[in-house]
Amino acid sequence: MNKKKIVIACGTGIATSTVVADKIENLCKREGIDALITQCKVSELDAYIHGADLIVTTTVLGKKSDVPVINGLPFITGIGEEEVLKQIAEELKK
Amino acid sequence: MSIINAILDLGAVVMLPILIFILSMIFGEKPGRALRAGVTIGIGFIGINLVIGLLSSNLGPAAEALVKNAGLQLDVIDVGWPAASAIAFASRVGALVIPIGLAVNIIMLLTRTTKTVNVDLWNYWHFAFTGALVTAATGNLTLGMIAAAINCAIVLKLGDWTAPIVQEFYGLPGISLPHGFSAAYVPIAIPLNKLFDKIPGLNKIEINPETASKRFGVLGEPTIVGLIIGIIIGLLARYDIKDALNLGMSMAGVMFLMPRMVKILMEGLIPVSEAAKKFMQKRFAGTEFYIGLDSAVATGHPSAIATALILVPITIVLAVIVPGNRVLPFGDLATIPFMVAMVAPICRGNVFRSVIIGALVIAVGLLIATNVAPLHTQAAIDAAFQFPEGATSISSICDGANPLTWILLKIMQLFG
Repeated sequence: MNKKKIVIACGTGIATSTVVADKIENLCKREGIDALITQCKVSELDAYIHGADLIVTTTVLGKKSDVPVINGLPFITGIGEEEVLKQIAEELKK
Repeated sequence: MSIINAILDLGAVVMLPILIFILSMIFGEKPGRALRAGVTIGIGFIGINLVIGLLSSNLGPAAEALVKNAGLQLDVIDVGWPAASAIAFASRVGALVIPIGLAVNIIMLLTRTTKTVNVDLWNYWHFAFTGALVTAATGNLTLGMIAAAINCAIVLKLGDWTAPIVQEFYGLPGISLPHGFSAAYVPIAIPLNKLFDKIPGLNKIEINPETASKRFGVLGEPTIVGLIIGIIIGLLARYDIKDALNLGMSMAGVMFLMPRMVKILMEGLIPVSEAAKKFMQKRFAGTEFYIGLDSAVATGHPSAIATALILVPITIVLAVIVPGNRVLPFGDLATIPFMVAMVAPICRGNVFRSVIIGALVIAVGLLIATNVAPLHTQAAIDAAFQFPEGATSISSICDGANPLTWILLKIMQLFG
């Protein structure tokens, strides 16, 4: 499988995205997905989006993009976390 | 108590790893992971210390030259929230803020005085920061802890109060934003917004977030902001081109590296915050409660982004023209989205109003940040952060300019 590029965007590029990155990293290890995870601020997304396979964001994404976007908010609230993990795994295995 | 004091005396780089290790074990983490979490936090502090050194050893002399050569009295460096949060967590209050915050939240939930289950442990640093300033001012740890607890309670109430409007505006059902910095501007924004409704002419003006974002887009990239501001400060300080370009690159480096260091700190905190989140949810989950989150979840909204971008140049101009201000805005130019995250929904996404309110609170905030600079610097020194010779004075906008923090500080000083 090719290396998957995942961009995780939040308000700071540090706070909530670190929590999400940690969970997705564990998911990828578990599922044997070879992934490159980058974190950034939402306002920097344009600079990081090139060649990405998936965007996970914990905040409101104002603009449309060609790359699939998954809402990572459940990782932060803890509600619906399993469903989102499944969704991400499916998207990455496409 | 003497054991706790002995641990507190070890200094942040040793104290926090030990405390986080103990807390992780209490929350049921395996010893190996708990140890790693603790050590990671300690490394985060070492990293932040290095970058603060880079910042103050470059921007410090430039700020002095700015005073001498350009007549601008901006000799207090805005170190930004990454450094402020590290100072807060490394303080004596910071060491105890997680149990304090959880206890306040649990008591308020049990007594039905709040509906917010605040799972955003990271942002307990705001409460710790207030406590650290109070302790630095009064020399009294107990007063600092009381201030942190009061801060926590007020912010929970503000989170409850704004939950309906925040949920609707951002499309985030079931959540609230009990954020120490963002929520502090709610009591200011609500009356100002009502005032706007009453002023003929002003109440009709709207600015479209899309066009504003396009025009100011590059200001959303902190490294570029760091580069440009570094060069401009260098030139104003009458550096030659070579030195000005070098200052620009150093500042771009600070903007890039500082958040990376805080990320290390956050990683170390994950096991504790995840365990606390599960604990809180197990006991208080359900439809009648809001889940309290970091206001970072709101900062991606177009009107919040647009407002923040426009406020970056305004902040710099204000720093120059507001009489009495001595703060040189830098680190927190990237933090303005958090200042407006809860103002934007109150203004119903009207960028014009958010910008005016933002400019007002920044103008006053710069004076507050100037006022707390000596305590801010003291708190940093207390937390064992190192400053180069010549003792640079530091402050921040988040939370050095936070009106709620300042009011609590002034009240607690009466008792100190």
